[in-house]
Parts: sequence; C-alpha cells; structure tokens
Amino acid sequence: MILSLRSRLSRMVKDPRVAIATIALLTLVSIILATQIGGYFVFILALMAINLCVGVGLNILLGLSGQISFGHVGFFLIGAYAVGIATLAGWSFWIALPMATLLGAVTGGLLALPALRVSGPYLAMMTIAFAFIVEHGAIEWRDLTGGQNGLMGFPVPEAFGRVFFEMEMAILAILFAGLSLVLYHVLARGHWGLAMRAVSDSEVAAQSVGIDPLRVKTLAFVLSAALAALAGGLFTPLQGFISPGSFPFFQSILFLLAVVVGGSRTLLGPVLGVLVTVLLPELLSGLAEYRLLFFGGLMLGVLLAAPRGIMGLLQRVLIVEDPKTAVASGMPLSELVGRQGAEVDLAVSNLSISFGGVRAAQDVSFTAEPGRITSIIGPNGAGKTTVLNMVGGFYVPDSGTIRLDHDLAGKTAWAAARAGIARTYQTTQLFEQLSVIDNLLTADRAGALGMPFGPPPSDAARSRAEGLLAFVGYDGPLDREAAALPHVDRRLVEIARALATRPRVLLLDEPAAGLSQSDKEQLALLLRQIAEVGIAVVLVEHDMGLVMGVSDDILVLDAGTPIAHGTPVAVRNDPAVLRAYLGDNDYPGRPRTAPWTGERVAVLGAHKLVAGYGAAPVLQQIDISVDPAETVAILGANGAGKSTLMRALAGLHRPVEGSVLLDDAEISGTEAHEIAAHGLALVPEGRQVFPELSVRDNILLGAFTRKDLDADREIEALLTRFPRLRDRIDMPAGVLSGGEQQMLAVARGLIAKPRILLLDEPSLGLAPAMVRELFDTLADLRDEGVTILLVDQMATLALAISDRAYVLENGEVVKTGTASDLSRDTDVEQAYLGAAE
Amino acid sequence: MKAYGIRSHISRRIALAGMAAAGILAGISPAQAADPIKIGLIASLSGPSAKSGEAITRGMTLAITEINEAGGVLGRPLELIRRDDEANPGKGLIAARELIQREGVTVLFGGLQTPVSLAIVPYVNQIQVPFMGPWAAGTPITKNGADPNYVFRVSAVDEIVGVALVDRAVSVHNAQKPGLVLINNPWGESNEKALIAALAAKGMPNAGIEKVEAKDVDVVPQLTRLKEAGADTIFMVANVGPSAQVMKSLERMGWDVPVVSHWGPAGGRFSELAGPRAKTVEMIQTFTFSGNDNPKADEKLAALKALFPEIESAADVTPAVGIANAYDAMHLTALAIANAESTDGPAIREGFYAIESYEGMIKTYEKPFTPEQHDALGPNDYVFTRFIDGEIIPIE
Amino acid sequence: MIASTLITGLGLGAMYGLLALGFHVTYAVSKTVNFSQGSSMMFGAVMGYTFGVTLGWPMPLAILAALTCCAVLGLAIERFVVRPFVQRGSDLWLMATVAAGIMLENIVLFTFGKEPRSLPSGWADEAIEVFGAGAYPLQLAIPVVGVGIALLLTLVQTRTKIGKAMLATVQRPDAARLVGVNTRTVIAASFAISTVFAGIAGLLIAPLFNVSASMGTIFGIKAFAAAILGGITSAWGVVIAGVLYGCIEALTTAYLGSSYTQIVSFSMVILVLVTVPNGLFGTAGLKRV
Repeated sequence: MILSLRSRLSRMVKDPRVAIATIALLTLVSIILATQIGGYFVFILALMAINLCVGVGLNILLGLSGQISFGHVGFFLIGAYAVGIATLAGWSFWIALPMATLLGAVTGGLLALPALRVSGPYLAMMTIAFAFIVEHGAIEWRDLTGGQNGLMGFPVPEAFGRVFFEMEMAILAILFAGLSLVLYHVLARGHWGLAMRAVSDSEVAAQSVGIDPLRVKTLAFVLSAALAALAGGLFTPLQGFISPGSFPFFQSILFLLAVVVGGSRTLLGPVLGVLVTVLLPELLSGLAEYRLLFFGGLMLGVLLAAPRGIMGLLQRVLIVEDPKTAVASGMPLSELVGRQGAEVDLAVSNLSISFGGVRAAQDVSFTAEPGRITSIIGPNGAGKTTVLNMVGGFYVPDSGTIRLDHDLAGKTAWAAARAGIARTYQTTQLFEQLSVIDNLLTADRAGALGMPFGPPPSDAARSRAEGLLAFVGYDGPLDREAAALPHVDRRLVEIARALATRPRVLLLDEPAAGLSQSDKEQLALLLRQIAEVGIAVVLVEHDMGLVMGVSDDILVLDAGTPIAHGTPVAVRNDPAVLRAYLGDNDYPGRPRTAPWTGERVAVLGAHKLVAGYGAAPVLQQIDISVDPAETVAILGANGAGKSTLMRALAGLHRPVEGSVLLDDAEISGTEAHEIAAHGLALVPEGRQVFPELSVRDNILLGAFTRKDLDADREIEALLTRFPRLRDRIDMPAGVLSGGEQQMLAVARGLIAKPRILLLDEPSLGLAPAMVRELFDTLADLRDEGVTILLVDQMATLALAISDRAYVLENGEVVKTGTASDLSRDTDVEQAYLGAAE
Repeated sequence: MKAYGIRSHISRRIALAGMAAAGILAGISPAQAADPIKIGLIASLSGPSAKSGEAITRGMTLAITEINEAGGVLGRPLELIRRDDEANPGKGLIAARELIQREGVTVLFGGLQTPVSLAIVPYVNQIQVPFMGPWAAGTPITKNGADPNYVFRVSAVDEIVGVALVDRAVSVHNAQKPGLVLINNPWGESNEKALIAALAAKGMPNAGIEKVEAKDVDVVPQLTRLKEAGADTIFMVANVGPSAQVMKSLERMGWDVPVVSHWGPAGGRFSELAGPRAKTVEMIQTFTFSGNDNPKADEKLAALKALFPEIESAADVTPAVGIANAYDAMHLTALAIANAESTDGPAIREGFYAIESYEGMIKTYEKPFTPEQHDALGPNDYVFTRFIDGEIIPIE
Repeated sequence: MIASTLITGLGLGAMYGLLALGFHVTYAVSKTVNFSQGSSMMFGAVMGYTFGVTLGWPMPLAILAALTCCAVLGLAIERFVVRPFVQRGSDLWLMATVAAGIMLENIVLFTFGKEPRSLPSGWADEAIEVFGAGAYPLQLAIPVVGVGIALLLTLVQTRTKIGKAMLATVQRPDAARLVGVNTRTVIAASFAISTVFAGIAGLLIAPLFNVSASMGTIFGIKAFAAAILGGITSAWGVVIAGVLYGCIEALTTAYLGSSYTQIVSFSMVILVLVTVPNGLFGTAGLKRV
C-alpha cells in the first residue's frame, strides 16, 4: 500500500504537467500572500523571489552543467546598477530591465570565454576575481555609479495605471521567479538541459555523443548570469538605494548556498534554498550580533546532514524507481540506427603518436569497411586504445590521416562523433547521474541540440531509444540511474548509446571485459547484427574467443607497431602473434630444479572471498592459498578478476566478504597500509612507481614500515640484483623505461622483507629482453625462498617459474593444479587465444 | 542587569515569525498602555565595525536604564531592540522594515555607515517614523530634501568636519598643499567631498587623494605618492586600525608631517596600535571622557562601569563619541516622546522641535532641533584632541 | 620610491606566499583546500596575542602554543569539515570550510574582542634604513621566513621519510598505501601543516598590522589568488606568485594610485589564467580516456 502510494507519488513528481502546475500554484499563492500580508513580509517575499531568480540561474550553472561560480554577486550588481543608472537617466524601467538582463548575459558570455578554459579551484578563483573587479569598478567609476555612497532616488516603475510600490514589485518579482522556474523546467527537460547534465557527469562521454562541452557550458554560464542580472534589476526599484556595500562578496556564497542546501539539479531545490538563506536569517534577526555565528553553524550542519540538499534528501526518501522496461519497437535495426550519410570506408593511414619520447603508435594503417568487423588486438600496452583515441578525436596524432568523408585527424572528439564515429570505453563512461533512457536521449541529436528552450526529446526519439535498448538486450528499468547499473548492463547501455548517435563507424574498446561466457556470446551476436546494417565496427578486445569468432579482419599491434594483418585464421597461426601473446617461445622460463616440497601451512589464504564494484560481484567465492617459499600463479583472461583479487588481498579493494588470512591473522577488514606493515607487499599493475621521487627514494619508501633498515647495505644488495638501476639511482623514477620501472617496483616490494610478494602483471608492456630478465629475477627470488603470488598475462612463462597455479574465469577459480600439469592443459591456451573456428 | 535581553526574545520572535510566514499575521497589534515603548537600533553588531555598534548599544542602554529608573516615558518603560545590518544597506533596510512594521518601534536609531542610513531614510520619511542617527556623518542623511523630514542626528556632519580640519591645518600648521589619506569606504568618500569643498572654499590645492583599504598592512606606497607630490600636511580619515597603519608607515618612511585627523582613531587602543607616532595626531572629537570639564563625563563613566562589568577603564569605553552621541540622542528622543505625549511619529517629530534645553554628556543642548536644523551638533561642538599616554586629551 | 615600494611588496607578498603554501600543501595531497585559511591565519595571531600578551607567557613559548592550537584547528577542520564530504565524493567541503571560517571569525569576535589589538615585537618598533628607504626589520624578515619555510618544506619533502610519504601520497596514492603509508593520516597532517603555515603568517604580520577577528578574510582570498596564480601544484610556484602578487599590488598603488590596486591585481589573475590555465608554475595531468 505504502509502496504503491510512493510509486504513484513518484510518477506524479515526474509528470511535467504536475511540475508546471506546482510552479503555477506556488506563484499564485505567493501573489495572494503578497497582496494580503502587507508591510515587511511583502518585502521579504519580494527579496525571496529575487533571490530565487538568482538561485534558479545558479541551479542551471551548478546543478545542470556542474560549474561553480563565486562571482554571481557581480552579475547581480551589474543588473542592479544598469537599471539604477538607466532609470535615473530617464529610461523607462520596462526598457532598462531587459537591457540589464542582456548586459548580464553579455558579461557572462565574456567571462565564460576565459573562465571555462579552466576548472575546479582555477574556475572558482576566476569568478572570485570577477566579483572583486566588478565591486571595485562600482566603487571607482564614480561618475556613473555614485561611488561608495551609491545611487538613490530612482523613479518608481509604473504600468497598467499602477505605481509599483513594494507590493507590486513583489508581485513582479514573484512572476519573474515563477517564469524562471518554468524556464529551468523546460531547459532541463530539453536537449540542452540533457546535454548540460551529460557534460557535468562526463565531458569525455559527452564529446563522444557529439556534444561540444564548451558551447553547453557557455550557455549555462550566460543564462545564469542573465538571471542574476535580472534579479539585480528587480532589486534596485525595490530597495530604492544601491551602493557597493549592498553587494558584498559574501552574498555570492549565500546565492550558492541556496542552491546547495535546497538541492541542486532539482526544480524546487532553490525554492527551499531561499527559505533557508533569506527567510531564516530574518527569523534569526533577534539574535542581533550572534546571527552570523549561528547561521554559519546552521549552514555547516545542513551541509553535513543533507549533502544532496533538502530536495535531494526528500527525493531519496519519497521517490521510487519506475519499473517500466524497454519495449522493442518492432523497427528493424537499420531503421533504429538510421545512419547519417553514405556508407564510406574508414581509412586510417600511417597514424603515429608519441608521448614524452615514447612511441605509443607508429605507422598504424587499416581500413574499416561498412558491414565488417575489424579488430585491433595485441598484448597490453600495445597501443590499441591509443589508436582508438586518435580515431575518436581524443588524441591529436603526430602524423597520419583518418579519412571518413574527409580527414578527421586532429579534429575534436565531438566533431568526430558528429562525422559519424561513435565509441565505447574500456571503463564504461556512462552519464552516471542520468537515467538509462536519458543516457541514450543525450545522443539522439548527435550534438545538434536545436534551440535552448526547445521541446523535450520526442516520443519518436524515446521509442527509438527503447528500441535500441531492447536490441542490445537491456531488460532493466528505463528509469534506473546509470550509476546503479550492474557491469553487464553498463556495457550494453554504452553500446546502445553509441548506436543512438546514428554512427557510421562504431569503435568498441574491450566491450567483453568482465562479461560472462554467455554474455560474451550475446555480445558477439550483437556485434554481427550491428555490422550487418552497414556500420563499420572497430573492435579492440582481449577475449580471443570473441575476436576470432566475430572478426572479418584483424590488425595485430605490438609495442605500437603493426605486426600482422589478416583474417582470424591467418593471424592465429602467425608465429609473431603467438610470440607476442604467449611470450617468447625461445625463452621458456626457468623452472625449479627440484619440485617444491614445503610445508602446507599457508602464509596467505583466501576463503570464500567475494568482492565487486557496486552491485556486481567480480570475485565469487574464491579459495586460494600460498604456502611458505612457494610460487603460485594466477591465470585467466582479461577481466577474469585477477587484478581485483590482488587488490582485495592487499587491502586496496574494500569492502570484501569472506575471509583473508595472512599468517593466521584475519585481514579481510584491514586497510592496505596495515596489511603492508604485516608483511604483504604488492607490486601493483602498471608498476606505480613514484614518478617525481628518485629511484633511491622509491626503494626506501618500500621500507616505510621497517624499523631495522640497514639502508646502504640493503640498497647495495638490490642494486646487485637489479644492475640496471645502479646508474639511475638518483634519477626521478618517472624517466625510467617501463622495464626499469618494473625492476624498481619489484625492488620496492623486496626491501620491505615481505612474508609474501604479490606481483600483478609484471611483464605488461615490456620488451621481450626485459621480460626474460624479469622472469629470471623472479626465478632467483623463488630459489632463494621468497614466497610469491604472481598474476601475469604470459601464461607459459608464469607457469614455467611457478609451483602451482589457479585459473580464474569470470571471477571464479575454474581450475587448479601444479604448474607442470596446467602447462600441458590445452584449456589454458584456449583461455588466452580462443578456440579456432 | 542588562537592558537588552536577547534570549527572551528569540523564541517568541520565531513563533511570531512562523505565524507571519504562514500568512496568519496580518498587521501590527496596537500597543497596550502598559507595554514598553520600543526603540529600534540598526547597526553593525558583527564584523569590523562591531566595536562601534557596541558603543552605541552601551550609550543607549545607559540612557534607557536611567530613563526607566526614573519611571519611563509616558508612564511606560523603554525597550531596546537591536538588529545587525552587517554593514549592508540592503540588510539595513530590511531590518528597518522589520523593526517598524513588525516590532512596531516608536523611534528608530541607526546607521553606522552612511549608505545604510541613506537606504533607510526614504523609507522612514514615507512611513513617518522618526529616525535618529548617532553615528553616520554623511551630510545628505539629514539634508535629504524630504518634507516633512523625520531624520534627526546627534553626531558629526562631514561637511562641518571638513571645514574644521582645513581650518586647523591652515591656522596651526600653515598648510599650503595638504594631502588626503582616506579609508576606501563610504565614510572616506563622503569626507573626500567635504575636504575638497572646504579646500576649494579657501582656494587651496591638494597634493593628492590616496585611499587605504581596511586591511592595508603598509601604506608607504600611498604616502610616498603624497610626499613626492609635495604634501605639507595630511588629512586622515580612517578607522582606528588603518589610521594606525598610516602612522606606522609614516614612521617607517621617517616623514615628519603634521597629521590632522577625523575622529576615526578615537578607539582607546590607538596608542597601542600606532606606536610612538600616535601622540602627534591631531584629532577632531565631539566628546572625550578624559580631560573633560563636564562633570557628566566622570559620572557617566562610573555608571557605565556599573552597568557593564567588562568595562574597567576609560580605555574600554571606546569609541567614546559613539557612547556619548547615542546617550544624548536617546535622552533627547525620550524628551521628544514626552513632549509629543504619544508614540505617534508626526507628533514625536514635533516633540523634537519642542525640546527647549537638555544637559547632555557632550554639551547642554538649547533648542537642538528646528524644522530647518535636524543636526544637534554644530561647528562649535568640535574640539581637537591628542593622544597622551593612551588617553584622548583636548588640545588647548 | 622603488626600493621602498618593493620592501612593502616583498613583505606583504611573502606573507601571501606563506598562506598560499598552506593551500598548496592540502591541495597537493588531497585535492581539497581549506577556504577558511584566512581565518586560520587570524586564529594564529589571536592565540599568539592571548598567550603572549593576555597571559604574559614568554614569546617563544606563546608562539609555540599558538602554532600548536593552529595544528589542532587544522586537524579538526580536516576531520569534521572536509573528510565527511570527501568520503561521500562530494565537493561541498568547499562551502563547509567557508562556513567554518565564518563561525571561527565570529567566535573570536565575541571572545577575543571587537577591537584590533597590537602584538608587540622588538622587530617592528623602529625603522631601519635599507637602500635609502625605511623598513621595519620584521618586514625584511618575513620574506626570509617565507623562503625559509618553503625551503624547509622542500627539505622535509625531499629528505625525510614522512615528507617522502607525503609526496608519494600525492603521486600514487594506492602505491603509497601499499608500502604502508597511512594516507588518511598524511592528509590530516597536511591540513595541520597548512593551518600552521597560516598561523605563522598571522604571527609574522600581526606586529606590523594588528590582531583582530576580521583580519584574515581578505588575506585568505588574496593568498588563494596567489596560489592559483602560481599554479597550486607547485610549492615554489605559489611562494613566488605570492611575492609577485604583493609586489604588483605595491607597485600599482605607488605608480597608478590606490584606486586601481584591487582592479589591477585581480585582473592580472584572470589574464594569467587566460594565458596559462594551470597557473605560472603549475602542471596538468595527461588527459586519459
């Protein structure tokens, strides 16, 4: 009963007619109040309405577009003075007010030009500086502004045969406030509002659906500045006196506070906000000198109690999700996707880029034809994502061309998206605070957003979005916030969103990562269908089963350079490819001379370990153990959960369920730094050396928790083990090559004298010679009795130096055994290279 | 005993306001005969000017205590209700509306800053409630062109101070080309106008107009400009803090130039803050507790000590002018209400004109207000003073 | 005139730099700043006055006690005003620290008093002559202390285990935890250091200026401007920018007149950010997708 009441209420709240009716009712009630209560409260009501105008403007800026401004009192001042000066010069108030609003908008646009190039504290400072410049301008431009002692004696506005005293001014302000709320409502529901929310959630993703973030943010800035100036224009005749002292910097903070406390990105948040920032101080006026103190405390309290604002809190309590799911539209996919322009090949030629001297991609060429799936594969660090980033417009290539209709190299990401290149990301980039359906609707116009206060996305757009969601197989509620989606759904929604831009080319970056086998099969089917409607699909993927199954052409990269190109069968049998993946066959790794015969008393053990991100568990009931002086490998394809397991064991991933024992001490609830002190050292994926610290300092930090360090002797010992580091001991670690950084990371782990050393993908991105050196070192360590738990892509090598191994698939241990048994197991190879068709 | 109970007000006021916000309260209930007569005060009670707000509060509280002990006015006690304007004219106007329309105060006091007063003036003239200024010195506050005019003042007037400062500089220091150092706020700006006008009247040039910010640590760059422009005297208009910084900077520069000052440094801490140069400043005052022939000065200091235990010496009763202005203004207002025999605004206005004589802290007032003259203090009520051992002593 | 003006600018600018260094320390470690930095500065001066003058403790002891109070304040701000928001991934620590500053200022107003007081110092009694211009010894000492502290910070960061742990926290938070650094403690410590810097700035400027509840606000804003101007990620950058900001203020006042000071200096901030969006010495991370 209560639930149904809540869901009915939720549906009501979301009904646009209800919103408009609420605004109308609020406006009407306020007007009636204004005509009835008289005196002081009319004045307060007018002030609240004026503050509400500013608040709604800031809600557009902060709530919708995610930008902050501490300078809005500047726009307020500009509006107030513009009306004051103009009416004193004999202009009619009714002309002065729109002119003041326009002046605010223009100033806002001018400030936005530099301001929106920066973000975070830089943007905050820019707006603070603006507020101070405006304030001091008003003080110093005395001929115009009257200086410190301000302006007064403004003619009283008149209209409809009425003189506008405070009651009339209050009604006028209330009408404008109501109007600004309607404006917000229309804007927020329309394409521009969607785009603003999208930009605020993820500028990267917004660009990839064709939205130019700068334009969207500028509009938000201009609109909010205009509303602040309008409010200032209403303030002048109401007050009858303005001076710089009426616009203290603190007022900017109060304006912001109104939005934050009421609940940003909600229609009625600013309404509640002005109750707190305008009415409440009045109720507290009896506190006299203690008012500000009390208000400061109250402000802090409210922020702590309701960080999403009062409306945010109410919504969380009152609103339930609409369970409606996507309905297949019955339209064929070709119609749902409705490609833009003619079918053209995507021709990439000789693309190169380097970062800080490192060549990340070199002379990469390929052609992606409509209707075909072109895959780019290669070991980690081969430069696959870098190539996608260049094609998608996120990196500017040093040389080469990307031709669709014309050359797109160096064009922005949103321009690439508008030209018809859609993409998904390795880590999904959804608009987290938008619902699933809204995620798709942002892409509907591919950046061509139309007029700012245009109609909301049409029913046709909605049913197309639903059709796409149904097509990709998303069967959850349309209304669900993207942040709450499980992993698989995130992938699906992201693909649907890319399709919603009506692409000609679809770039997919590891779409199968983290998917179960059956999900992968679904995905393969999906990709084929997408290609069949004439889209050129470019797939970067680690899962070889998927790649081999769906691809028409495969390009293999290694260390930024193409090493093979051809059909799946050809590529699969190419020795260069096998070498790149399974490791250098010339170097088999050095096994133990005699089998390990230690005591089975686990140094580290996990029992029924479950861990995940949000709702989706990545690890399911993992049981592993490592015994003293043993070397154990964990194998599995990308996305199988290997890194998550390492992070969970080391305490970086919290919370986890189940138990983790380190030397019989339960550490599943312990934090990473304490686990480190207990004697577990993880050499993390990507090495993670401290780039600006010297090699020596990096090593020494490894001994952070040790009290008995003999620094000179132990560093000397490590340098003997890693001779490459000796010459570089005083260089910043950031300038080291990948292999050297890996050595350093291992050295940093070793100096802790750990009970167990965990290594996460140590061979990742290393040249073959380096890999050999590294694995020799690991074998030495093993022979010296160091306990090791190793995760590595190079399965053959990892098995060669290990005593035992676990095979992980989809977060579960699917196989375990001695290394020699597993190395003869064909299933293991299959996990990496996929089955041949 | 404190005359202004804060706590007792809060709950009642919040309840009232809540009702009002809901639209229930439609008007102001007429005062009952036994009810106190409410006197409103709007001033900066927090922030940098809080000390002056406190001085006005103390002066008014002392006067109200005396009046109430003597049986009140029209048989009713006086009650002080205070509001903080945060030095913001907008807030000041809201507070004025609230005090008059909701609290129903009979007379409104207030305005530390001239703009706050200017924002309130049109409103009180329109709603016909007397507005008494114990501090803000801007000329147009009382000369506001309204008829009838409800604004009265017992304080300095910048126009007159300007003339007095220039006279002093010329007659004592033989100034030819004085420089101006003004605080960058409305008060400074208002005095800029007054001083320039006074200099113009004598046909004198100025060496330059420099501004100091309230938080300027070092004023050497400004003073160097004046020195290089050939200033032979400095007119200083700033509160105690920035005034002290001006003196410290002069000391640093080693520039021995006469300084003729508005009453800003009057805080008791000026000697402490400004260092050795403090004693060289010649400062205009309407009232000092020290070196004062008027027996009321010592008597009231004792009374203040009794009323406010935190006051230990004359150094704690600062700024003295704020206390004295507010004290005299409150007594004059009480006389006006008594003359009016009612709490009706227009009647009280006439009541002010009907005051014949009153022996105050600053002076003995004889017919202080007329329809043409709403300022109770005139050119003869200023004295020049100096800081001697931390006390403000009139110069012979 | 130029010597005298530069002395003014250096003294003031070094103080901005010190305050700005406080912004840098917390931002570098946690990407948050304490917007009540100005109030922290005031707190340092007020506590110094309370211990040294009101209670009559010997000055070195009073300074030590005042700075200890500042450190505690910093820890409290981090724990109760910043961390609750950071944990929820919210940016509202920004508004919350502003609120904390307002509260602190008003609490001091009603406890310490409403009047400015003077903190005596033998270094600010008599002016000495330097390059033909008068200067208080303390004025010359502030840049020395400012640079000294920046140097000390650099030394601590580069030479001590704790300092390196702080740098490590900035550069690779996860890796820092993996070697046993309690990054939460490091962040809390950075707030304590930040407020101590503010306290030192307050104690240094107080004898030249005065001690009052409202003394810090505008300094806090200007120091933030300096921090942004220098590029908040660079310790030396913010100190240099602070000195630059102070000198530009003094030079504008001396050559264009005080009416233009605020307009010129704040316009400069905007202009610099237009040209170099990460500040003069700041760095931006590589855009990753």
